[in-house]
Amino acid sequence: MKNGALLIPVVLGWLAVWWMLPREKGRSRILGALMALGALLALQVTFLPPVGNVVRDSLFYLFSGTAILSGGLMITDRNPVFAALWFALSTLAVCGLFLLNSAPFLSAATIIVYAGAIVVTFLFVIMLAQQSGASNYDHHAVQPVMASVMSFVLLGALLFALQEWGGIDGKAADEVKAGQFVAQDAKVRANIFSQPPSSNKNEIGSMRVLGRSLFSDYLYFVELAGTVLLIATIGAIAIAPRRSQGTL
Amino acid sequence: MTSTSLESQLVIGAVLFALGMIGFLTRRNLILIVLSTELMLHGVSVNLTAFGRYHGNPQGQVFTIFVLTIAACEAGLALSLILTLYQRRKSLDVYLWGNLGEDDLPVFTGGGTAQQTKPLDPNADLPHLTPAGRAPATPATKT
Repeated sequence: MKNGALLIPVVLGWLAVWWMLPREKGRSRILGALMALGALLALQVTFLPPVGNVVRDSLFYLFSGTAILSGGLMITDRNPVFAALWFALSTLAVCGLFLLNSAPFLSAATIIVYAGAIVVTFLFVIMLAQQSGASNYDHHAVQPVMASVMSFVLLGALLFALQEWGGIDGKAADEVKAGQFVAQDAKVRANIFSQPPSSNKNEIGSMRVLGRSLFSDYLYFVELAGTVLLIATIGAIAIAPRRSQGTL
Repeated sequence: MTSTSLESQLVIGAVLFALGMIGFLTRRNLILIVLSTELMLHGVSVNLTAFGRYHGNPQGQVFTIFVLTIAACEAGLALSLILTLYQRRKSLDVYLWGNLGEDDLPVFTGGGTAQQTKPLDPNADLPHLTPAGRAPATPATKT
């Protein structure tokens, strides 16, 4: 079977996640860790070939492995405080991937917004709400078999589509052209502030190019996003419990 | 296979998305459900920046900035909703909010047990208004 190799990481990953999902009696974490490592190795062999640049490869494997492992630990940890901390670690690893994608500003912004604001406020709420640590409902998963099977079927479908696609570089030129988006006409501008795209590929992550695109091509959407933030702030203040009703 | 490693990043994004989906479906803690959606958004963001890098234009990163904005809005709204729900039931269990059905229907509990702690105040789910006149009979006080 041509695509049979993708079954190995998917099935191993499903076994690892299903084994580690929270339940009444704890299971051997070593076995789960071994299965997760096997799934990661199989995934690397099947889908993540080294590019050739040693530094970039090692950084990519480090960041992606950390992101996936801490994501898995986040959804399987029985203590919600530790789960939030694993999520913070996963966020940091994803920010490393952003750096590899030449997005330094985005990486810094994500660290500030997620690790600095979101995770900390959620940790506050968890610690205020569950002062006795993990409670009964954290030891039970909802439909663990069904949920993990369905999610890994989705993952297998995505990986299968990627494998059938075979990568954009192995295609013939006309095939690539047919599969790509319609090229943007240089003369078409989103609004009067739009400027033609920079031809220098090395500076796509710089503040200059990013800010120019954000505040010229996407000017209206920046305003819309600001409006959404404002409305969400008003809504959060309106929904949150009043002090007269007793906060927490 | 490729010199751009676009596919590798798509694989990472897909795995993160699937993990977040499992967390969203299986956890019973309200806060962890919201955090799992954030993990799914991370998977999408990795995809967007990888495509932006591949095509050599800043649009992927601009989209990710918008994703970040909406994620911040979502976190704020979810946090205030969770605080309101916690204040009613004094618990973060999502099963306690599975009572939208009729009273005589069986409560779906999946695996595990739901600690059906009745709220201290039977009128806690009703809107808080200034009390006037006779208190209406609620199903909890009838039986």
